[in-house]
Amino acid sequence: MMGRPTATKTILEARASLLSGLRSFFEARQSLEVDVPAIAKAPASDPWLDSFTVNDPAGLHVGYLLTSPETYLKRLLSEYQCPMHAIGKAYRANEEGSEHAIEFTMLEWYRPTAIRPFQTMVSEIQDLIETLTECGRPEVISYRDVFEATYGLNPHQVEAMDLVGFASDLLGPKAAASLDLDSLLNVLFATEIEPHLANHIVIDFPAIQSALARIESDGADTVAKRAELYISGSEIANGYHELTDPIEQSARFDEDNRRRELLHRPAVPKDDALIDALTSGLPESYGVALGVDRLLKVMTQSKTLSECMTFTGHL
Amino acid sequence: MASFSTNEFKSGLKVLIDGDPCTIVENEFVKPGKGQAFNRVKIKNLKTGRVVEKTFKSGDSVEAADVIDLDMEFLYADGEFYHFMMTDGSFEQHAADAKAVGDASKWLKEQETYIITLFNGAPLAVTPPNHIELEVVETDPGLKGDTAQGGSKPATLSTGAVVNVPLFIEIGEVLRVDTRTGDYVSRATKK
Repeated sequence: MMGRPTATKTILEARASLLSGLRSFFEARQSLEVDVPAIAKAPASDPWLDSFTVNDPAGLHVGYLLTSPETYLKRLLSEYQCPMHAIGKAYRANEEGSEHAIEFTMLEWYRPTAIRPFQTMVSEIQDLIETLTECGRPEVISYRDVFEATYGLNPHQVEAMDLVGFASDLLGPKAAASLDLDSLLNVLFATEIEPHLANHIVIDFPAIQSALARIESDGADTVAKRAELYISGSEIANGYHELTDPIEQSARFDEDNRRRELLHRPAVPKDDALIDALTSGLPESYGVALGVDRLLKVMTQSKTLSECMTFTGHL
Repeated sequence: MASFSTNEFKSGLKVLIDGDPCTIVENEFVKPGKGQAFNRVKIKNLKTGRVVEKTFKSGDSVEAADVIDLDMEFLYADGEFYHFMMTDGSFEQHAADAKAVGDASKWLKEQETYIITLFNGAPLAVTPPNHIELEVVETDPGLKGDTAQGGSKPATLSTGAVVNVPLFIEIGEVLRVDTRTGDYVSRATKK
């Protein structure tokens, strides 16, 4: 029979219980659940995210399916200035594999706080995992420490040429030489470090990987205030001490489009509504996106994401 | 020349890596949330049998290898080459050298059907059927009264292969053998 569900009933029960656990967790923390649109005028600008375009029946462009609810949540946050979360579908074109699906469930939450936002975020992620899973409290480790332990180099000080040799071992010299610093760091991290992260929150990423996180100097290094949660070698959640400066935000969008051009990838329209929201005042806050299907996968020790979703491979 | 993009990668796909024909054993899509996508691929070199791990940038292409598996019947060996014939009625013949035949040489029996892997039209590998029936040409006589207890002895088969068999097996008997492990399975059923 074609088109049968890919998840077992047992997994679906675990999924339902995880979703209700997540909702209780945020309700107890006075967070407002919001339901945001899946279509927006401007897609994510990240150079390596591909958004689906949405056309009406006449073939006219309507917008993009969102790769995360970030733009709507930040607009809500600037208006209502309260903790909020959304659980819904996110869409990423060209992403399919045992850890990827083009349509998946994302939990994203924001919390305004002026007091030690980054540390508060990290401990909230730890609380969530400790409360809702049997994985225990994730250990915090810096990107620099984990990178240095594997490659013997400070990731905040390296240039592309320092890493090409390591990448050559994986990709061959020609493909390795064609990668920029961001992609070199990504391939080295994803292949040699990520698989060993059992239950860890990696903090303080290289500045080039800041996306929409703040960039700060800790004295010696300039780092992006980003935190990523990994369980059983899978990337589960990604948190930022959010950028609130509209001028900086606008410059990051331009920079993303400039990098897209270098990578021969299509430029995307600028998210003016998000810049307007920042201009009218985004509170000092942090935001975290969490892949619900991925979390369920590691909790149930499933081999593929597809076993954790009602249907996959149906398109 | 035909080629495959990484998004067409799947196990069993035959590709050319550094000039050697290879088959994809496992393909994994790797992509950090915010970063470039890669494919981590386990590849088996069909010449050497070695499995290596390689990483590709997603979207890159790899040349297709002209590799095809065909059913052929073993005819004879002439000392240098092993001759096989297509079973599709074309009577087309192919000569495989000792390197292509490899370990399969000890399972070659006339009129038996084998899978011949051709690379650019020439035999690259020979795969015997999982089970084959062969006659015992040499083995020590079985010990009387020692049938209940397990125990084994070596037996040489008509192809030259030596397998461990139960003590009651005698010369002239036809045995069923697993070619993947080289293990005795049973006495062949009389035809």
